[in-house]
Amino acid sequence: MAELRLIPSPPPQPTRDEECLDAFQRELDYIYRSLRRLGTPMSELDDLAQEVFLALQQNWGEYDRTRPLRPYLFGIAFRISAASQRKRRREVAFGVVEPDDLGPNPDEALQTKQMRGQVLAALEQIPLKRRAILVMHDLDDVAVRDIATALSLPLFTVYSRLRKARKELEAALRRQKREGGSL
Amino acid sequence: MIDKVPPVTPEVRAILERERVIPPLSPTVRARALAAARATLANRTVPAPPPRAPAPWIRWAAAAALTVVAGAATAAVAYHRHVQQLRASQTVAPSPMLEPASTGARPAAPVALPAPAPEPTTVPASEESRRTKVAVPQEELRLLRLARAAVAREDFNAALRPIAEHARRFRDGRLAEEREALRVKALAGLGRTDEARRAATAFESRFPRSVLLPAVRRISPHGE
Repeated sequence: MAELRLIPSPPPQPTRDEECLDAFQRELDYIYRSLRRLGTPMSELDDLAQEVFLALQQNWGEYDRTRPLRPYLFGIAFRISAASQRKRRREVAFGVVEPDDLGPNPDEALQTKQMRGQVLAALEQIPLKRRAILVMHDLDDVAVRDIATALSLPLFTVYSRLRKARKELEAALRRQKREGGSL
Repeated sequence: MIDKVPPVTPEVRAILERERVIPPLSPTVRARALAAARATLANRTVPAPPPRAPAPWIRWAAAAALTVVAGAATAAVAYHRHVQQLRASQTVAPSPMLEPASTGARPAAPVALPAPAPEPTTVPASEESRRTKVAVPQEELRLLRLARAAVAREDFNAALRPIAEHARRFRDGRLAEEREALRVKALAGLGRTDEARRAATAFESRFPRSVLLPAVRRISPHGE
């Protein structure tokens, strides 16, 4: 009679969903911040973050793991923000109060908040399609070629939008300075 | 090609630097987001929706077939009525053919149905409501900006005025959550601890899932 032996089973491979959830968890801060930079109001952050997760999960099989995740995530966040803004078509709460704004250390928190608020308010003056490129390039350090891939745009369009977005940002910051103070 | 994009000025670069750092989410928000994501996965595996939605050509074909059948039925009914009326008119007044033909055309009209009554009033009404919806957040935002600016310069008394006005005009407005958080902050700043505590309690019961809740708890006197 053949002898029965226990064969150690191979370590369980994470499922596709687990992998995706893990990536989402790792990049959660980045996703929330990107949505904020793209003008998502505080009240909608949670919902849009979930939409990002849903889109990520649905496309996880097609995502090329050899490429960096953040530009890919930003592309998703950008499309979802654009759709959401098209739906709203109106200006709503943006940076009115952030959770950090109400922290117990008023001086430091206030200063940081004001600086961040200043950048976000200036970014908001730039139309979304150009803002997305500026954020990716000048804040996330994504190469122009990768931006073009993530947003499905021709290289030339990325360059021209980046140029215009920078001018718009400078103008917005100048305007803020003239009006004396941040939002 | 990159040469065509002028670099940002050092001043702007310095400002952008501040936004580069990604602040960590509060544990509450993080936990909530992950729980929602897990729930999404759990719900998705139960119904298994993907393999439905018929191919577009099937839908088009079905729609076309339906249109043809409906058209044929309409024509048949119209013809039938026309023939009946023709017969009836021939028995009463045999000579003129025109009259039954013209009356026969009449019943065909309702059968040919669709022509829905135009509703000119709905367009301006919806447009108007859209316009007021657009106007409201701007005004809400203006008031909250005033309040926020006052809180930022620690002029808490001045902050309470736009907060009160916002509460009066937009009690359940889109920015009610931010307003109430600012109220707690302003009251606490003024040293009106009882009121701040009450406002914080009201905030918590009204917005139990608010991302501002941890911060509100921190500033409210009983949160420490």
